[in-house]
Amino acid sequence: MFLGYTIILGICCGEKEIENMDLLDQILPLVKKPARYAGGEWNAVCKNWGEVDLKVAFAFPDVYEVGMSHLGLQILYGIVNSRPDALMERVFAPWPDMAEKMREHEIPLFALESKRPLRDFDVVAFTLQYELSFSNILYMLDLAGIPLLSASRSEEYPLVIAGGPCAFNPEPIADFIDLFVIGEGEEVINELLDAVAGGKRDKLSRKELLRKAVEIQGVYVPSLYLVHYGEDGAFLRVEPADSSVPARVKKRVVKDFDQVSFPTSPVVPSTEVVHDRMMIEVLRGCTRGCRFCQAGMIYRPVREKERGTVLRQARELVRNTGYDELSLVSLSTSDYTPVQEVVKSLLDEHAAGGVSLSLPSLRADQFSVDLAKEVQRVRRSSLTFAPEAGTQRLRDVINKGVTEEDLLAAAGAAFREGWLAVKLYFMIGLPTETDEDLDGINRLAREVLSLGRKAGVPRGRLKVTVSVSSFVPKAHTAFQWEPQAPFEALKERQAYLSGKVRDRGLTLNYHDAGASFIEAVFARGDRRLGQVLSKAFELGCKFDGWTEYFNLEKWLEAFKSAGLDPAWYAYRSYGYDDALPWDHIDPGISKRYLAREHQRAMEGITTGDCRTGDCPGCGLCGALEIEPVLAGSERDV
Amino acid sequence: MFRYRIIYAKVGPARYISHLDLLRVFDRSARRAGLPVAYTQGFNPHPKMTFAAPLSVGTAGEAEYADMELARDIDPAVVKSALAGAMPQGLRLIEVDRTPEAAASLMALVERATYSARAELASPLRDEVLARAIDSFLARPQIIIERQGKAGAKKEYDIRPGIFAMSGCVNNDIIKIKAELKTGSSGNVRFEELLAAFLKESRLPLRGRLSLTRTGLLFRGAEQG
Repeated sequence: MFLGYTIILGICCGEKEIENMDLLDQILPLVKKPARYAGGEWNAVCKNWGEVDLKVAFAFPDVYEVGMSHLGLQILYGIVNSRPDALMERVFAPWPDMAEKMREHEIPLFALESKRPLRDFDVVAFTLQYELSFSNILYMLDLAGIPLLSASRSEEYPLVIAGGPCAFNPEPIADFIDLFVIGEGEEVINELLDAVAGGKRDKLSRKELLRKAVEIQGVYVPSLYLVHYGEDGAFLRVEPADSSVPARVKKRVVKDFDQVSFPTSPVVPSTEVVHDRMMIEVLRGCTRGCRFCQAGMIYRPVREKERGTVLRQARELVRNTGYDELSLVSLSTSDYTPVQEVVKSLLDEHAAGGVSLSLPSLRADQFSVDLAKEVQRVRRSSLTFAPEAGTQRLRDVINKGVTEEDLLAAAGAAFREGWLAVKLYFMIGLPTETDEDLDGINRLAREVLSLGRKAGVPRGRLKVTVSVSSFVPKAHTAFQWEPQAPFEALKERQAYLSGKVRDRGLTLNYHDAGASFIEAVFARGDRRLGQVLSKAFELGCKFDGWTEYFNLEKWLEAFKSAGLDPAWYAYRSYGYDDALPWDHIDPGISKRYLAREHQRAMEGITTGDCRTGDCPGCGLCGALEIEPVLAGSERDV
Repeated sequence: MFRYRIIYAKVGPARYISHLDLLRVFDRSARRAGLPVAYTQGFNPHPKMTFAAPLSVGTAGEAEYADMELARDIDPAVVKSALAGAMPQGLRLIEVDRTPEAAASLMALVERATYSARAELASPLRDEVLARAIDSFLARPQIIIERQGKAGAKKEYDIRPGIFAMSGCVNNDIIKIKAELKTGSSGNVRFEELLAAFLKESRLPLRGRLSLTRTGLLFRGAEQG
């Protein structure tokens, strides 16, 4: 008996998909991890193509295992697919072995659900999670047979849109994107899709539709803005094409975070992905005000989910996914007001069913270790703390509110409670850093190690991992005016550390300084970098976040042929009065606040957390007519 | 503990679920189905579940076998209907039965497997030509293939004793090849190996790749499969 493809594919697919699947079956057995491209996972939504008006592809510019770990994808997938008039399918960057086979067999990039080419969709929506994924956007558009430049796409091609944290400086990728969404997507996606549906109905041209879309708060259409540069090549300003286009694009922010749509039936991958577990976002935003941190600025204000909402969502997730691990995610989960009660309730309800909890992003303090102890009955993983800098002086400069006592108390408690391994995250190249700060990293690592020995952790199993990344100045932070430390200096500091952080039980990892350099260029870049991206793509740059593919020489060649100097972008020190390429993007916090924070950093003065009622004056609440929301805690009741 | 024998099909997109991932997929499906899966004790508990024989990634299975243990005694019909509604696309339940806890493991029982392959022909081929090619292939005293050993060294291996039957037919522009092969821990012939060796010799005018299906598993001392 032979099974035909109609049976194999099930009920939801039409003839066209079958053709594609037939072709796909020719190549999938030849590629690594074919489950990345097969679709059909639990909770995947496969709508009838002919019965839905609006087709949206969510495009994640990295490989399946990374993209499927991204909560934002699941959020938007849930929202769009709950609309009767729309569908959303998923597409990820095919690994190069697959891309090669697709080109060989002339299979254009397709979405996982229907296996239809991206070209057949109305909207292709990219998420911009990190600068080093920009090359993959070009790589995916090219595989899809969609012209790379927004200006060269005629009416028959999908609208290519993008959102996510890197949209807060959209300029480097602006040549390739028709429309950006700035800020949180849950509400604006519906407004935007309504506009696209209206455009289809009224047969609006691409240009007319984009004109209409800028009326929506949070929508940025780069083709409706002109960029001016000075004779010396300096960036002057971004200016709206005419008075009907807003001069600044204000970010979107969800007011009622507690009640906003949250995916409790997420797609459950059939193959292992990076974060292979249930996720509940317990709070959004962070008010600690670390001066290097972009997320801490652009996701303000803090909004917490009510305890009851978390418990209900957990119940639904357990039932709908079959996962055995639940992660409470946020920028800083130990800051979630009712975290202790929620953890206890979740364990009471789900531990018997074999569901364990995990809490990423914990503060380095005793409270967090107590929490982790509660959560992890079996201490199988390591605990991670992020002191970020080696001395109190530098931690004050970056406003990282962790003291040495906090960290050592946390590490000591972790070892006493049975953890065998501790990971410490640090940054090098921070503004004002000296050798003393580097020595501080070594000293802290050794003190943590000796705490492990004192706690009686067996020598062979005791492990302290020091993970060192390089500081990258980001738009809309207090350090946006600061230069990155030169590439050679970063290499020297890495070498300095690897000479020192060396002992039994100590492991040192550091990030590729070349990749951090390119990241810095794009993090603060302007629209001219589009030429560099085009060139880099032609030279074969892709998967730049992957060490096996990142190639600094090719990037340098791309800059050279575009006539631009990457050092100018990465090492430039801006003045407070200088125009910045992202000035037209308004995250709600004021530039004056950022400048004040920068000055305080240089003076080594810390700034408090607005949770404590000590308003640092970031200006957001007034600008966006919103307020921080903390969950009611049993402690307060 | 209560042990159940599950017969299922692994087709469509599920063909690309690796053997390693399949345990996780079954575990999650059972949890969604609300079944009280039994877990091993220890620091890293995993579901008590075994599979008869790994299926190559990309090969479909029409009647695959798995044993799963539950912590409570539940009617097999209930297990079947609950689990059937909780599996991802392409994993379909055919049968669920009780099996004694003391029964030999599936891996020890499985002895042979039946397969079929299908492809389009680039030019016409007569049935007799195909039949002759198969006959002469099977007439060889030895069919030596190369296998990559664990250490990376190549090893030669004679698959002829593990081929129990092989046949083919042509229907318009579709060619089908069937085989019954030795499977299991005491010696294993992979269908891909057989087809590669056969095609190397017979040079059939195929258009594209063969799509492969394991049609059944045959057990020691039993005629099921």
